[in-house]
Amino acid sequence: MTPTARPSGPTTAPPDVPHPGATPLSADARLAARGLVHRFGATTALAGVDVDLGAGEHLAVMGPSGSGKSTLLHVLAGIVVPTAGVVTLSGQEVQGLSEKKRSLLRRRRYGFVFQFGQLLSELSALENVALPAMLTGTSRRDAEAEAARWLATLGLTDAQGRRPGELSGGQAQRVAVARALVTRPEVVFADEPTGSLDQTTGHDVMSLLVSSTRAVGASLVVVTHDADVAAWCDRRIDMRDGLVVPAGSTTGGGVGPRPGEREAHAAGGPRDLGSASASGALGGGAR
Amino acid sequence: MSANPVLALAPRLQRAGGRDGRTTTALAATAFTVSTALTLSVVGALTGFVERAAHPVTELEREAGSFYVVLAVTATILLVVPLLTLGGAAARLGVARRDARLAALRLLGATPREVVGLALVETALQGLAGAVAGTALYGALLPVWTQVPFQGRAFTAGELWVGVPVVLAAWVAVPLLAAVSGAVSLRRVVVSPLGVAQRTTRPGLRAVRVVVAVVAVGAFMVVSAVGQMAAAVLITVLLTGLALAFLTMNAVGPWVLGVLGRLQLRWARTPAQLLAARRLLDDPRAVWRVVGGLGLASFVAGCLAVVPVLAGGGGDPVGDVVARDLLTGALLTLGITFLLAAASAGIAQAAAVLDRRRELALARLAGVPGELFDQVRRREVLVPLLVVSVGSAVAALVMFFPLFGLAAVTAPSGILLLVGCLGGGVAMVLAATEASRPLLRRVLADTVVRAD
Repeated sequence: MTPTARPSGPTTAPPDVPHPGATPLSADARLAARGLVHRFGATTALAGVDVDLGAGEHLAVMGPSGSGKSTLLHVLAGIVVPTAGVVTLSGQEVQGLSEKKRSLLRRRRYGFVFQFGQLLSELSALENVALPAMLTGTSRRDAEAEAARWLATLGLTDAQGRRPGELSGGQAQRVAVARALVTRPEVVFADEPTGSLDQTTGHDVMSLLVSSTRAVGASLVVVTHDADVAAWCDRRIDMRDGLVVPAGSTTGGGVGPRPGEREAHAAGGPRDLGSASASGALGGGAR
Repeated sequence: MSANPVLALAPRLQRAGGRDGRTTTALAATAFTVSTALTLSVVGALTGFVERAAHPVTELEREAGSFYVVLAVTATILLVVPLLTLGGAAARLGVARRDARLAALRLLGATPREVVGLALVETALQGLAGAVAGTALYGALLPVWTQVPFQGRAFTAGELWVGVPVVLAAWVAVPLLAAVSGAVSLRRVVVSPLGVAQRTTRPGLRAVRVVVAVVAVGAFMVVSAVGQMAAAVLITVLLTGLALAFLTMNAVGPWVLGVLGRLQLRWARTPAQLLAARRLLDDPRAVWRVVGGLGLASFVAGCLAVVPVLAGGGGDPVGDVVARDLLTGALLTLGITFLLAAASAGIAQAAAVLDRRRELALARLAGVPGELFDQVRRREVLVPLLVVSVGSAVAALVMFFPLFGLAAVTAPSGILLLVGCLGGGVAMVLAATEASRPLLRRVLADTVVRAD
């Protein structure tokens, strides 16, 4: 499950075929990528990256600005088609799918948490969470019932009827977490999920993101430049100049979760999800 | 140029707005252009009729010259509100797009007065550009208007030319009105910055608006019934009634749309229905500003339904010319009103896309299909549009019922005209909203949600 680390080096003129040194695709990985290359004009954002993500595994992607970590997330999530390389979800290649099929894939099998501004401003918190379920064919009634359970689980019962503009930053991100998980996705992609939050609120949001994702058995990819955020995950890869580099070479080790907290999450005992209502919410999928 | 360093920054900031800045500037200037050109055209026609009444050449012009002037004034009144609506929408669009840059200026230490001044200078400049371009468009349209016969002969370009003083007045008035309208929008930002920026729930509209409407309609019906006895006051009653109807509709329209939004929300089953209902409920006044223009146009169409009754058609050649002119003038007025409503709708949709660019782009990344936003756009315009247009046409028929009786309803040509105009108007507005589709696609494709 270890990413294939490549030495950092010049990023000019990489090949447009899977990297010759790419390791074979892992058969048991939920999400796997080999030889990912992506260019924007003359700029090479990914210069040959291999990644494996196991079922339920949480992976942090770290690196400074311009290192290619967001591009990697976009390629893994099927948002962007790589210039070269292969991405598979449960063994099925996704990079060759049409835009429409990749859009369906993202809607049905992936969940997303962005830095901010992802909630539709005209909808209430409840409707925002219900929307992805409705888009996959769930009736409005069932979708809103499921959304209400998720919001209750994340401590947002009182905020159900509020619009995004009436939520605090932390509340909005928790709503975003609920929205990402309401369809019980296989993989959740989080792009700087705490980037717009203060440290305490960011800590709470990461705690909920990690525990909720684990509770539904989803894998998690978190892109961040914050070592504290990365420390919540099972594993971390560092990126520089479009390549995976040895861990810790781009930033120092993080402080991460409070003592004992990460162990609790790893053991599947999320801090805020242990109640009867929580298990009810997480047990019944919207799909 | 102003010695004030912040105001001196205006042209540079305008250029720094990027592609969206240029798009909104172009949209706003286009709206000012259209409204200026059509205003000058309407004023030109009014001038033409006044001139013919003052210096009649034919028997008809001698006999009915003043009647034509009254009709021209009526048409002008009908067009004033949609024209101001479009101009106001353009000014609001211009101001709203500057929020981010104005906030940045505040952070740099500019005073609120300087920031407001900067926004108003920019908006006024757009208004001036639109006024100048609109004058050119008006000149280009003159040959078109001279093809339309009135009083048995077409107007000459000279008859329809408003004169240099009016053009200069327009060049002063349009930027001034743009600045005033922009100032009103900015006042809302200053008074409640969070409400504007974060889209919090707005207070609902009160049902007292309905009471106002019912009282106004009742008063009009009573007055018009009395007015039938004294033909001399009929025209006064007609004009007063029109003004009253406009005021009534503007008071009631947003409230009705709010009720419609709540009903749509309750019945929504699909994501498109849910989003469209929420957008309508989000700001019924804003939706009214878009469809209100067509509401007024439909009211005109409702009035048109009684024109054949008014014309009579008794075989008198002079009477036939007047009847034909009534229909021609009414159709022109209606066409212009539809055009203005369509332009307002297109601008509002473009503004909505730019307002929501980040959330739309992120939704697309998360797998929300772009088609959903197309469905929402059509639905959020179409449903209020149909309700408002049909509702206004019916309201016009009801209000004029005491004047014209059952004949207005039974005259088939009038009803056919009404249905045709409604269909054409709705199609035009829908076509205008489709114009924002490429902008939506570009926003979805181009918006950088986070720099890596």
